[in-house]
Amino acid sequence: MASAARTAARSAWPSLAPFLERHYTTAVSILSVLVFLVLWETAADQRWMNPRLTGQPTLIWQAVLEVFRNDRFFYHAWISFAEFGIGFVLALIVGVPLGLIMGTHKTTRLFLEPPLMALYTAPRLALLPILIVWLGIGIASKIAVVFLGAVFPILVNTLAGVRNADNRLVQAARAFGATQLDIFVKILVPGSLPAILMGVRLGIGRGVLSVIVGEMFVSQAGIGYQIMSYGQGMQINKMLVYALSISLFSYGLILSVQWLESRIRDWKPVS
Amino acid sequence: MTHVFHRHQALLSGLISFAVILLVWQLVVDLGFVKAFFLSTPTRMATEFMRQLKTGEIAANLSISLYEFAVGLGLAIAAGGVCGVLASWSRTLEAIFEPFVWFTYSSPTIAFYPMFIAWLGLGAPTIIAIAFLFAVTPIYANTLSGIKNVDQDLTRAALSFGARKTDLFIKIALPGSVPILVAGLRLAVGRALTGVVAAELFGATAGLGFAIAYYGQKLKTTEMMVNLVLIVICGVICTQILSLLEAATDKWRTGPGR
Repeated sequence: MASAARTAARSAWPSLAPFLERHYTTAVSILSVLVFLVLWETAADQRWMNPRLTGQPTLIWQAVLEVFRNDRFFYHAWISFAEFGIGFVLALIVGVPLGLIMGTHKTTRLFLEPPLMALYTAPRLALLPILIVWLGIGIASKIAVVFLGAVFPILVNTLAGVRNADNRLVQAARAFGATQLDIFVKILVPGSLPAILMGVRLGIGRGVLSVIVGEMFVSQAGIGYQIMSYGQGMQINKMLVYALSISLFSYGLILSVQWLESRIRDWKPVS
Repeated sequence: MTHVFHRHQALLSGLISFAVILLVWQLVVDLGFVKAFFLSTPTRMATEFMRQLKTGEIAANLSISLYEFAVGLGLAIAAGGVCGVLASWSRTLEAIFEPFVWFTYSSPTIAFYPMFIAWLGLGAPTIIAIAFLFAVTPIYANTLSGIKNVDQDLTRAALSFGARKTDLFIKIALPGSVPILVAGLRLAVGRALTGVVAAELFGATAGLGFAIAYYGQKLKTTEMMVNLVLIVICGVICTQILSLLEAATDKWRTGPGR
């Protein structure tokens, strides 16, 4: 069927054919999203679904304009971004060094790993209510929950990266008289960079989720706050504008880390 | 022998580290450095745990949460598995699924939570839907990549001996992709648990997440902490079960491919 479609395309638009040939999967992906949007629009138009509950693409577009014009969108976005950014940077500052230390120092690992793993496997969003008791309903509790969400994937992947570092390189360096510090800085850190970046990518998803859940749970401003208030007011279209914008933010950030990852993978010689 | 020693070493240091945490926790409160209101203490939590156990609160909340978790995860395994297999057969289907998979993977699904409340109402169906959306992506992605990355030599060998497409699927693709499938399952379990707890924080009438939110809003720290610890224990048990499953499904593998 796929090849039939391609043959049809070739005969109909000769100039388009090579393009479709090369970008076949991309074209299908775009087409599938378009079909989804059209179905959504007609389903709401024909009242197959209640548009008050599902929104409608054209109305979402109107809501976009409205939200950007009257809603202080950037104020809320800035608050969420600040909470996410501070929490995430703290997670990096703590997670990467702690992972490196635990990876190289066995006693530290033996004592810290069990409690940290217990927290890692549990859904840390459950800590939200106690964080609010400790830190209040403002920005601090959101920073803390972002930190807790993001720090574990970063820590665990850094740890795994150090422990999986190429042992032959370490031995070779030692044979040529490298000090412990040399080995750490020149082999272990660059060697575990791909794993660290993978942790960062996972951490971004966790962090964005945490900030939204934190704000939806209790807050006075931010994207999650807006989502909750529009959701409760049954203004689904405006709610979707906020939900989609945060999804886009998360998607963009993850894509850029993935791009970095592929750059580093190309740089790293294949063993 | 050394192997056994190392195992015990890890176990011992782990026990010591948990014991130290509990002791310090108890002491900082008992000696008055931190108010019990903020932290509670292990002894208070033990008494409160016994109380909640007796009143049946724990059994009720735990069974609701586990039910939502199991149904959400089960649906995710069914849907993700079927879609993953279909996508591995056809490049077109994979491309059709691709944008939606990326979307559910990278967006904080909870942001669409008010919509689910509007559709499905407050309670279990909404939470199951959220848990499903959290868990379905890793199942789909790992099923797809597991089947796609099956050893081509095996496939060619089987084909030359006259295997049919269903034979290839059942006898080569499926067993060959077991490790990746289990890895996907592991991710899915963690995400489903997160989905259940996060969704219960808002719109539930029962469940462990609900209990945490409920007691949190009443500022009853001890009551809240008991449920929090229960969730942590659930997470640890799930991971342990999966590790066992991983070991069991990988045991038959021999040779360098292991």
